[in-house]
Amino acid sequence: MALSGMLLNGASFHGGCCRHHVLLSSLGPLLSNSKLYSSYRRPGAGPEKKPSWQNVDFSFKKAFDHLKTQLSLLRKETQDYLLGPGGHPFNQHLLEQTRVLWQFRSQEDLNKWVISSDEEIGGKSKVHIKLGRNNQAALLYGTLNTEVPRDGETQYSGYCSMRSRPAVGSFNRKKYYDWSNFNSLYLRVRGDGRPWMVNIYTDPYFSHQKDDLYSYFMFTRGGPYWEEIKIPFSKFFLSSRGRVQDNQHPIWLDKASRLTLGFTIGDKVDGPFQLEINFIGLLNDRAHREEFAYEAYDKNTPV
Amino acid sequence: MTPQAKLIFTISLILGTTITISSNHWLMAWAGLEINTLAVLPLISKSHHPRAIEAATKYFLVQSAASALVLFSSTTNAWHTGQWDITQMTHPLSCLILTSAIAMKLGLVPFHFWFPEVLQGSTLTTGLLLSTAMKLPPMALLYMTSPSLNPTLLTTLAILSAALGGWMGLNQTQIRKILAFSSISHLGWMTIIIHYNPKLTLLNFYLYILMTAAVFLTLNSTKALKLSTLMTTWTKAPSLNAMLLLTLLSLAGLPPLTGFLPKWLIIQELTKQDMVSTATIISLLSLLGLFFYLRLAYCTTITLPPHTTNHMKQWHVNKPISPSIAILTTMSIALLPISPMILTAL
Repeated sequence: MALSGMLLNGASFHGGCCRHHVLLSSLGPLLSNSKLYSSYRRPGAGPEKKPSWQNVDFSFKKAFDHLKTQLSLLRKETQDYLLGPGGHPFNQHLLEQTRVLWQFRSQEDLNKWVISSDEEIGGKSKVHIKLGRNNQAALLYGTLNTEVPRDGETQYSGYCSMRSRPAVGSFNRKKYYDWSNFNSLYLRVRGDGRPWMVNIYTDPYFSHQKDDLYSYFMFTRGGPYWEEIKIPFSKFFLSSRGRVQDNQHPIWLDKASRLTLGFTIGDKVDGPFQLEINFIGLLNDRAHREEFAYEAYDKNTPV
Repeated sequence: MTPQAKLIFTISLILGTTITISSNHWLMAWAGLEINTLAVLPLISKSHHPRAIEAATKYFLVQSAASALVLFSSTTNAWHTGQWDITQMTHPLSCLILTSAIAMKLGLVPFHFWFPEVLQGSTLTTGLLLSTAMKLPPMALLYMTSPSLNPTLLTTLAILSAALGGWMGLNQTQIRKILAFSSISHLGWMTIIIHYNPKLTLLNFYLYILMTAAVFLTLNSTKALKLSTLMTTWTKAPSLNAMLLLTLLSLAGLPPLTGFLPKWLIIQELTKQDMVSTATIISLLSLLGLFFYLRLAYCTTITLPPHTTNHMKQWHVNKPISPSIAILTTMSIALLPISPMILTAL
């Protein structure tokens, strides 16, 4: 089966190659997978993505295994649905005040996160992640370099970030988070005194919301002691493509799909940085009564 | 929103509803449906929150598609029969398309997917509007065309609605979504009897409007949007919460409250029409709904802190509770003894 697939691939590529060469060259920018408006590939960006038809793997056994994993995930989802909201019994949903979302105890916990830096636009910052001492924390370390890449259009540079992968359910469907019981993020970190930005990216289903990001700051102490930072959700402000919006609204977390939590450092200071994260959780802080920290401007006030 | 804008939207809603209900030409009915759709969109998206905009988008897409299907079915019927009268819908394909269009408008299964999301994205007042007033035109069209529609299809849609409305409401913790699923299951009860005794559908619909309005307005005055908040609203208006318990049980259809009247009469009518198994199935499926109504009632009234709550006690009422809630609540609890009078009035 796999051999026939390879033959098919080879045949189509060869046969179509010469005929379509002229056509392809005239339609070059339109056909490339990357941005339609710029064919300039930044120095740090990866090589061109293979077209999806060259990625096809006709292995029957792999497909069967994949189907088995997805079906077992589906079965687990059904059982969770029968248990109650969010997979927990109902009284647990009503009574819970804390929940641990991500903790870093093994390599597979680290695989749930993606690190990136301004190398992808041609900058010189470096970032790495590894498990800390005694497998108790994740250590995010690297060097920030604010030297601007010389490509004529970038003005600022120097950022590194770590983002979580969004959770997917069976058959790559969206998994919704219900964080409506909680009103703060709770982080146990040990930093080096540098300020970080915590970003929540949610619901990119509608294209006009795909640039929306809710952010707030996390100021770390440098000490050898662990710090427990509470960031209430009422403090997160909305920005779109990096610009803070005038119309602010509180973040709704009752049905967040493809939610990504991210930590970014971009404080314009060259040099090394280090952040150890023990766990990230949610907290229902009863002492925090604020609903939203920013004024919601009413545009059409009656005169 | 400025008062002028609110006036325009309210008048458009009343206009659209009136046009559809009083029309006997399909184009007028369609025009009324479109006016309704467009007028309610700014009300849903008033707060400009992304979730509200998403709700408005979903509402617009579904309702426009349904209106287009209404127009299409009436056009094909006019092509085949030469007339545009609403009550003379005779071509079978047109009737089929019309059934699916009305199911989309009302939120009957399998076209119910938009309803919980739209209700969740809108405020409680707008949710009340969507559940009650926006169901009037499609219900009127269903009433007028019911003799021509396929009874098996309607019965299937009804039973599926009662089933899914019950099952999908079980795991919800957001109150607006629970009320959406309750609406879907009530629509199932309304649809199952429309072929045999349309007056019972209307009775069920009016009583449903009454009870849902009481519930929505009560929740609006206590500002409870999720179950954990609902548990601590008894501090705001204790007697109102106690009445909410009875109103919710009335929605569930328990005797001797008002909500029992339509269910009893529908089961009686189905039995008279020799559909005993259908009556049994739909009654059993409404037990699922009873489960989440009881859960809401438990969270509202039967539970007292300090145990089983995760929310701080709320201590202030935002604005005075309007007296219409008292009237609606009383009517939604105590109308069963005067049921002969209600039936003769219909």
